Amino acid sequence: MQNMIRFDNVSKRYPGSDEILKNASFSIDAGEFVFVTGHSGAGKSTLLKLIAATERPSRGTVLIANQNVSQLKASVIPFLRRRFGLIFQDHKLLYDRNCFENVILPLRINGIAEQEAAKRVRAALDKVGLLNKEKAMPITLSGGEQQRLAIARAVVSRPAILLADEPTGNLDADYAADIMAIFNAFNQVGVTVIMSTHDALGMSANQNRVLHLHQGKLTDGPNKPNPNTTPTETFGL
Amino acid sequence: MSNWLNHHLQAIKLVLFRMRSNALSTFMICLVIAVAMCLPSLFYLAVDNLSKLTDKMQTETEISLFLKLDANADTIAEIDATLAKNPDIREYHLITKDQAWQQLQEKSKDNQDISDAINQLGKNPLPDAFFIQAKSADPKSLDALKNTLQDISGVEQAILNADWAKRLASLLSIGKKLIFFIATLFAVVLLVIIGNTVRMQILTQKDEIEVSYLIGATNSFIRIPFLYAGVLYGLFGGLISILMIAGIILTFNNSIMEISQLYSSDFRLNILNTNLYLTLTATAIVIGWIGSYLAVSRAISSIKLN
Repeated sequence: MQNMIRFDNVSKRYPGSDEILKNASFSIDAGEFVFVTGHSGAGKSTLLKLIAATERPSRGTVLIANQNVSQLKASVIPFLRRRFGLIFQDHKLLYDRNCFENVILPLRINGIAEQEAAKRVRAALDKVGLLNKEKAMPITLSGGEQQRLAIARAVVSRPAILLADEPTGNLDADYAADIMAIFNAFNQVGVTVIMSTHDALGMSANQNRVLHLHQGKLTDGPNKPNPNTTPTETFGL
Repeated sequence: MSNWLNHHLQAIKLVLFRMRSNALSTFMICLVIAVAMCLPSLFYLAVDNLSKLTDKMQTETEISLFLKLDANADTIAEIDATLAKNPDIREYHLITKDQAWQQLQEKSKDNQDISDAINQLGKNPLPDAFFIQAKSADPKSLDALKNTLQDISGVEQAILNADWAKRLASLLSIGKKLIFFIATLFAVVLLVIIGNTVRMQILTQKDEIEVSYLIGATNSFIRIPFLYAGVLYGLFGGLISILMIAGIILTFNNSIMEISQLYSSDFRLNILNTNLYLTLTATAIVIGWIGSYLAVSRAISSIKLN
């Protein structure tokens, strides 16, 4: 199978800081479900940003669908990004518009005609169970619902890869399980899912691959859920 | 192609929606633009119409040749012969002192004060006069002709009636240069106003722009709505300024027509100055586009750095 994503000796250093990521080499195939684990500050977010081409590597090469990200022209990057559905820990929803308008944004960026776009938005909202909240403002939704809305926005343009940066980090166990179920459903229809998490929640049921980061280095890490981390850990909203 | 069209349609719809939901502030901005467009236009209108008026007067230029009061029929015949030989003269006619006296009395018939004053004079104080139209309307050759005529014996005074028109014309040419600078200054003001307005809007939509970049928006996707906003500000501002100018012309025309009638002229300001209106609107639109382009380009690079 073709490598969807491939890192060769990738290091990332921000100006005035130590290397956040050191000599990372790995590859992810299409259709995989991969967890990126590690303590906060281990470089998980940086790894995801490098995949999404919001950051460029300081050294090494990042290949996305056989394209070298460092050599891409700035004008091509937006089109590369449209292959990804991005989900952020802080949702990054737009609070000045309703759920429908939030989800339609990627389709507008893709220049999809309004009627077709509306159909797709409703399909995406339906998949995350928010079809009845179409007209609601995001601020009125619970934390879990907001994260599901963010997922709807990420999947509405039917990306091949879902990148989720600690999507369950702020959610309690029930909501987190909902989110995991949604990701699993997408993965089963062939979407590559890469998800970072600082705990092992949700990995228990699967034999998913884990990229474990420790102080910027990929290590063998725990392939099994870490028994020291309580999966029901909550961070309340 | 249809993608491209969709982008633009969505952008226009979005901008119009935003403008409608901030109708009052949008109107205020358009009003500021309109006033900034209106001032140099009014100055232009004033200078342009005055120069049209003086052009007309200069072509109607006449040299009045007043003879000495004691000029007799022989002198008049002599001067007549001299004038007939002068190649610079297109045509001329004589009004004798008696004719002039009659004309004056007739004209002042309606005005009791003047006719009383004339009657008190008792005898005719007016000289014989030739009224001369030159072939050339050029101020310099007119001046030369006037000097030649002045030197004819028996002539008391030669008066070039366009003297004041000439002075006005040279003043107006200074005015025309001034217009250029005033218009340029106001264009800079407009550029700053529109640029700043668009910059403020970008700041209020910073979140949206950041998220859009993350999910694959191109620079032009971000830029287009703001460019349309700038263009629409220019368009609406231009239209309002046309209304203002038309209104001002309308009020002025009333008083101008009164004055014109006194001079038995039908001069008045043209209210349908299509060229001016088109130039005005097009300029406002172009300035709007440039202003917002500069603002949005600066904002894009600062947002991307974050």
